[in-house]
Amino acid sequence: MKRRAREAIAGYAFSLPILVSVAVFTVIPIVQAFYYSFTDYDALKQQIFNATVDKVMAVGMYLGLLPEEVKVDQALKSFDPASFVESMIGTSISKKLKRILRKYFDSKKLLQDYASGRLSGESKIGNFIREYLKNGGRYFEKYRPDIIGLKNFKWMIKDEYFWIALKNSFIFALVVTPIQTFLALILAVAANSRVRGVSFFKTSFFIPAITSSAAISMIFMLLYSKPGFINRTLSLFGIQPVDWLNNPSTALPAVMAMNIWTTAGYFMVTFLAGLQNIPQSIIEAAIIDGADGWTRFWKITLPLLKPQITFVVTMGVIGTLQVFDQIYFLIKSQENTTMSMYIYQNAFRYGKMGYASALALIFFLIILSITLIQRKFMERGLEAM
Amino acid sequence: MKAIAYIILLIYAILSLTPFIWAFLVSTAPVSYGGKSVDIMQWPPQISLFRIPPLVFGAPATLKNYALVFHEVPYARWFLNTLIYAGLTTLGHLVLDSFGGYAFARLNFPGKNLIFTFLLSLMMIPVYVTIIPVYNLMVKYNLVNTYWGLFLPKLTGVFGLFFMRQFFYSLPKEMEESAMIDGAGVLTRFFRIALPMSKPALIALSIYIFLGSWNDFLWPLIITSDKSMFTLTMGLNFFRTTYYTFWQLMMAATIMMTLPMVIIFLVFQRYFVETGITSGLKG
Repeated sequence: MKRRAREAIAGYAFSLPILVSVAVFTVIPIVQAFYYSFTDYDALKQQIFNATVDKVMAVGMYLGLLPEEVKVDQALKSFDPASFVESMIGTSISKKLKRILRKYFDSKKLLQDYASGRLSGESKIGNFIREYLKNGGRYFEKYRPDIIGLKNFKWMIKDEYFWIALKNSFIFALVVTPIQTFLALILAVAANSRVRGVSFFKTSFFIPAITSSAAISMIFMLLYSKPGFINRTLSLFGIQPVDWLNNPSTALPAVMAMNIWTTAGYFMVTFLAGLQNIPQSIIEAAIIDGADGWTRFWKITLPLLKPQITFVVTMGVIGTLQVFDQIYFLIKSQENTTMSMYIYQNAFRYGKMGYASALALIFFLIILSITLIQRKFMERGLEAM
Repeated sequence: MKAIAYIILLIYAILSLTPFIWAFLVSTAPVSYGGKSVDIMQWPPQISLFRIPPLVFGAPATLKNYALVFHEVPYARWFLNTLIYAGLTTLGHLVLDSFGGYAFARLNFPGKNLIFTFLLSLMMIPVYVTIIPVYNLMVKYNLVNTYWGLFLPKLTGVFGLFFMRQFFYSLPKEMEESAMIDGAGVLTRFFRIALPMSKPALIALSIYIFLGSWNDFLWPLIITSDKSMFTLTMGLNFFRTTYYTFWQLMMAATIMMTLPMVIIFLVFQRYFVETGITSGLKG
């Protein structure tokens, strides 16, 4: 075997495991999510055909008649298989399923079996229906979401909470990203000015970043509570206590402040690394040329930090747009919800997986376009410096 | 100038540490003292640390709450679950990312660049897009509330692959080339030469993945519903009920789950900064 062929085989073999895992857990799910977003996928309906019913009881409840009271021909006139199935599973079914039932369901046989007492025992709803279905039984084997075209997206436009969530996510990113970037920069410049104990400062700034958001949320729930530490401290300055997290107008700003606190010190390390890479000779040359500290910062330091600023802002925007844990633990009012939380709520609380997928898709497109716009914008802005 | 720098750094260090110090003080307050429950919201907080035992919130400080946490909730089990979850995820990533990273950095195979570009483009996809289908997949194979369900879907990230590829790429090629002339196969070059040289990268990647999964909340929230399968982040919810929050216990639990990460950070600090792995630590 040739060396190149052997190398190619090794290349495929080495990359196969990660490719398989990416295919199974990322690529295929993306395609599925895309498909879901055009359906009415409802997780609460997933088990509808698997529930067990007592056949006699199900028919009896629907007709309101005992077997011996049923006259088949008469009952047949008013018997609607679609509404019978709906009454049995306790929820509405799609138009398509209704059509199939009305066309192929052998109502006569069912009523005859009921009246004559041949009907008996328990069965899964799906199997029970298929027993009397002349055609199209596969639609009742398991729950299949219906394709509803663009309805999810149209619904989104009218959905007040979608707009609220989107607005809150934007506010979160727009407020937190600049502040955390600026703060990180100040801290880095301060730490770079040949002070002692830099490693102590770095460590203390980093601890909030390596603590889980869940734990941090718990600590701040304590600090933010009405008789809590923050209000007590503020009262030293004559500020009245605020119920930070329970008041819808202060809850989101409170979480934003906490978010800045967790990330600023951590981005500071990125900036510090950038600052330490700036050759001392450039600074010294500027000093000889008579540039003061302020000019040096604007004309030398900042332009040379370009890659770090781009990185911090990009990571900041992506991170803040997607913040979840802190919202989950600390935000109570639906007025303060964010996109990530709203997607979670729809998918895993209300079971509306079709709608949630549509939301996620739109959310992705928004993040993508913001990142692209921002990249363009920042390149221009930084070049101008 | 230097004075201003010190002031800024000191103020922010105080700001960074105070919440943890306060949480620790609350965690050391007994639940009740002298027949009355201890009010940790009282003001002034009646804290005096310079006596034995120190006084917190008007009561003698104690570490009993830390033991009580294990008694009140299955904390040991959650600790173990988190360790298994984070450990398996880390191990899986080490294997997948180092093999994959080596392939994309050093081996030539048709379609390599195309595949790699495609993988990189996936980095932009937010987790919220894929999480619903992945959850349904787990339901289909009965992996909800299992360790498999917890860690398997976490092995898909591209970041680690990218990181390892960059690292292998930056290694000098000469040693591998001379080994190749001596007749060493791909496996020998990978295991005998490339891997031993990538110790810092492997350590940094391990810390990054371990920390990320230790602190992960969203996926455990979705995939576990059984108390015995909870991770530590999930367990925190247990200390607050609609009517009452058990602050002392909650803070003890919080401190206990944070401490291992702080220790890891302090021990391996230099790998954090040197390798630049920290990009994207916080979601």
